[in-house]
Amino acid sequence: MSEIIIHSGETFEKVFLNESVNLHFVQEAGSHVKIHVLNMPFDNSITRNIDISKQSCPSEATNNIVVEQVGEGCSTEIYALAYLHGDESVTAETHVTHAVGGGTSNQLVKFVLADRARGSFIGDLKIAPDAQKTEAHQTNRNLLLSETAEMRTRPQLEIYADDVKATHGASTGQLDDSALFYMQQRGIDKQKARQLLVNAFMIDVLNTISDETLREKLINTLDSDL
Amino acid sequence: MNKLLEIKDLHASIGGKEILKGVNLVINEGEVHAIMGPNGAGKSTLSAVLTGNPAYEVTSGEVYLKGQDLLAMPAEVRARAGVFLSFQYPVEIPGVSMTNFMRAAINAKREYEGKEPIAPKEFLALMREKKKLLELPDKLNNRSVNEGFSGGEKKKNEIFQMAMLEPCLAILDETDSGLDIDALRIVAEGVNKLKTPQNASIVITHYQRLLDYIVPDFVHVLADGKIVKTGDKTLALELEEKGYEGINL
Repeated sequence: MSEIIIHSGETFEKVFLNESVNLHFVQEAGSHVKIHVLNMPFDNSITRNIDISKQSCPSEATNNIVVEQVGEGCSTEIYALAYLHGDESVTAETHVTHAVGGGTSNQLVKFVLADRARGSFIGDLKIAPDAQKTEAHQTNRNLLLSETAEMRTRPQLEIYADDVKATHGASTGQLDDSALFYMQQRGIDKQKARQLLVNAFMIDVLNTISDETLREKLINTLDSDL
Repeated sequence: MNKLLEIKDLHASIGGKEILKGVNLVINEGEVHAIMGPNGAGKSTLSAVLTGNPAYEVTSGEVYLKGQDLLAMPAEVRARAGVFLSFQYPVEIPGVSMTNFMRAAINAKREYEGKEPIAPKEFLALMREKKKLLELPDKLNNRSVNEGFSGGEKKKNEIFQMAMLEPCLAILDETDSGLDIDALRIVAEGVNKLKTPQNASIVITHYQRLLDYIVPDFVHVLADGKIVKTGDKTLALELEEKGYEGINL
């Protein structure tokens, strides 16, 4: 894995669509990293004329993201979304280290698993003894759409500084039956109701994409299923 | 007068426990029926069974909507055929906007009626008109369904959806619970404005208060899974005064 050095004051922002990513960022003071790692079905036409890294949907992907904040006052945003069907499988690993203080990191990782799909999330977050005034958040939410889908999640926090704000949460659940019935009672069939709820689950990840054209195209792709 | 709904000897249970023990009821077009009764009598079970809630099991009996076998229809088909439930506890659906939700509901009904999907302009105009009726804010369109709504807003939102979908049979399940007097007035006026000679409503309530606004043609007392007494609107007043114990069931 080659290191990508983000120099002081620089911003690195990119959306990765359907590939196995292997990234190692070293962030100098006041630099910003914002990445989206998406593994989901999409219409090829959405990436036309858009600067985006993409490949066709692989049946297996391993995403490994390492971030080291070595200068003060950095920000890191990692958004990962996997919407998997059949026998597809995605592993997402994040290793975020705050070596020095005053930085922020925010991770939002979501999996939606249908059929026999498998998902795995390993999230290491380390705040070094000198990294005071760090603010770090890690959230992992997973939605299982079938009995045979499988999710493994392992968040791991190592916090050695005392003056920090750090939160983490991981949960795996199913579609809300009461919401499904509410929609059916308004005439919406079950399949469409399920799709509305799945899209609702994924939309907050897509809403964080800065590129408006791409964001709207991805969201429209979801809505076009309806 | 045309018969809209006919319930014949309806029995239903949840988790193996029988709640409805032989309900009989006929509702004609243009009528308002109030159903009152003590807690646990089966009022909410009746609304759940009529709307096809999968948590409940119908063990025997028949229900016809305009002569069609209602119990044979899936929940969404009952809704498209014109059965609407104003939920006692409206469900919050984070991430699904009112616009997407309402459009899906309207178009499902239109498809059932053999109509084209609604034109975007027409849809927005309809939303605007019905929001006005319930005194709901313009920003409603982009909000997630019921998410973060106050108790009053949730109930107004139920009647707003009723106004959008124009059901032939509206079931209002304790629509008055949790409402302050202003919200109650707005909700009741909304319901009254939606009344036509062709539709009917079932108003489930604990209190006479709502019936001051939505005046029923019939009042039924449901107790232990059966309708044990039927009268006109004065029965509700009598109940308020004497309680269920005092009306000689």
